[in-house]
Amino acid sequence: MASRYDRAITVFSPDGHLFQVEYAQEAVKKGSTAVGIRGTNIVVLGVEKKSVAKLQDERTVRKICALDDHVCMAFAGLTADARVVINRARVECQSHKLTVEDPVTVEYITRFIATLKQKYTQSNGRRPFGISALIVGFDDDGIPRLYQTDPSGTYHAWKANAIGRSAKTVREFLEKNYTEDAIANDSEAIKLAIRALLEVVQSGGKNIELAIIRRNQPLKMFSAKEIELQVNEIEKEKEEAEKKKSKKTT
Amino acid sequence: MAATFFGEVVRTPCRAGTEDEEEQEEGRRETPEDKEVRRQLARKREVRLFRRQTKTTLEVSLLEKHPCSKFIIAIGNNAVAFLSSFVMNSGAWEEVGCAKLWNEWCRTTDTAHLSPAEAFCVFYHLKSNPSVMLCQCSCYVAEDQQYQWLEKVFGSCPRKNMQVTILTCRHVTDYKTSESTSSLHTPFLKALKTQNFKEPPFCSLLEQPNIVHDLPAAVLSYCQVWRIPAVLYLCYTDVMKLDLITVEAFKPVLSSRSLKCLVKNIPQSTEILKKLMTANEIQSNIYT
Repeated sequence: MASRYDRAITVFSPDGHLFQVEYAQEAVKKGSTAVGIRGTNIVVLGVEKKSVAKLQDERTVRKICALDDHVCMAFAGLTADARVVINRARVECQSHKLTVEDPVTVEYITRFIATLKQKYTQSNGRRPFGISALIVGFDDDGIPRLYQTDPSGTYHAWKANAIGRSAKTVREFLEKNYTEDAIANDSEAIKLAIRALLEVVQSGGKNIELAIIRRNQPLKMFSAKEIELQVNEIEKEKEEAEKKKSKKTT
Repeated sequence: MAATFFGEVVRTPCRAGTEDEEEQEEGRRETPEDKEVRRQLARKREVRLFRRQTKTTLEVSLLEKHPCSKFIIAIGNNAVAFLSSFVMNSGAWEEVGCAKLWNEWCRTTDTAHLSPAEAFCVFYHLKSNPSVMLCQCSCYVAEDQQYQWLEKVFGSCPRKNMQVTILTCRHVTDYKTSESTSSLHTPFLKALKTQNFKEPPFCSLLEQPNIVHDLPAAVLSYCQVWRIPAVLYLCYTDVMKLDLITVEAFKPVLSSRSLKCLVKNIPQSTEILKKLMTANEIQSNIYT
């Protein structure tokens, strides 16, 4: 039945589906996992790094991109679509700054990206963007923000969320482990993001990329060493927790 | 006669028959050229079983030449990766045959030089126990080729005292259920077995109205008809390309009677699987 209503983006099926939009959401699941966490004084974006070929320049394979000094985003899905959306968002950020002399709010740029995506679900001859994005940053009021957009053009604010492959597993982990204590300070929020990724990333810290934005500070990308340190700390804490547990049972 | 929307007049089919039937039949008769094209196409789509080492075609069916008591068939890249990592590294396996076939889904045009990675369908037996056979099928076997494949592999009169285990994957969007698909925890396993298979399967049985498709369905039907105990483990996943989590979803099957004695070193198998994944992931840049 689906095949009669899934060719044209502008055609609804009798039961109200826009199949091309739903198929675009499947394309998002083909991208590697990205997780976003909104802490009290920090926002964290963690992604599963894509394996890079030997002769490929690693710097050109990035999932986390800055949109402006105070906003950055991670995406999952079609690489080329992400490039187009990011370029448009970057231009909009600068255009806004020049026009109203204020940097964009995180919500504004998220709404811009979501509106752009929605337009492509209602145009004939075009297909939806096959990406979901996690957009993080601080506004002028100093409040941290995390938004998620998807191919249909919807956007919502989140305390913590994941997109891409195995996003469901990561989201379930976050639902269990995102507590006020867990995000009480910056290092706990960072560890939470890494622990969430370690649930689905098989080769450990080597395949994780992390970026943070602290209030009134620019985007900081963690180096591989820094991530390894964090992973080692997490493993130590896990071992200690397990030792305590086994002591209690004996 | 009937008029269409565009004003042309078309002949409506009539079961009573018309005077013009003979004329139509002449039009339908094949020309020698058509016959030749059809013959060439049939030859191109033929399923051939041969030994790569000796480059000789097998004269009899594979299981007639190599009778077995356990036959494990992996169809699709995730199932193949599972057997490669968890079963084939735990013993010495010898290649006994290779099925060569072509259809419109084949990407490789050079069918003369096959490597294990892109080989269509390779058959192995365990050197220490030749009654255990394994098939790694990473190509698509079209509907018209399935019967040929079965004949060339099982033969026209198969032994009944063997057990067949089939592993394959399907996209979760093909799974029909009254639950919401967002509540399904993919990947998950479902089983379907023949009447003669008495062991309890390692997961719940596939519920109606879901059906099995393609080569796994053909093998299972064949086993049902010939009363061979056979079980199919079908993994529903949302990632059809080679994926670690999907491959690991087959792990419960390692406790089955067919596979238990063949698996030795699970940590090493996990390492081999990770290497396979890395080698495969690097190739595509479309998704990030």
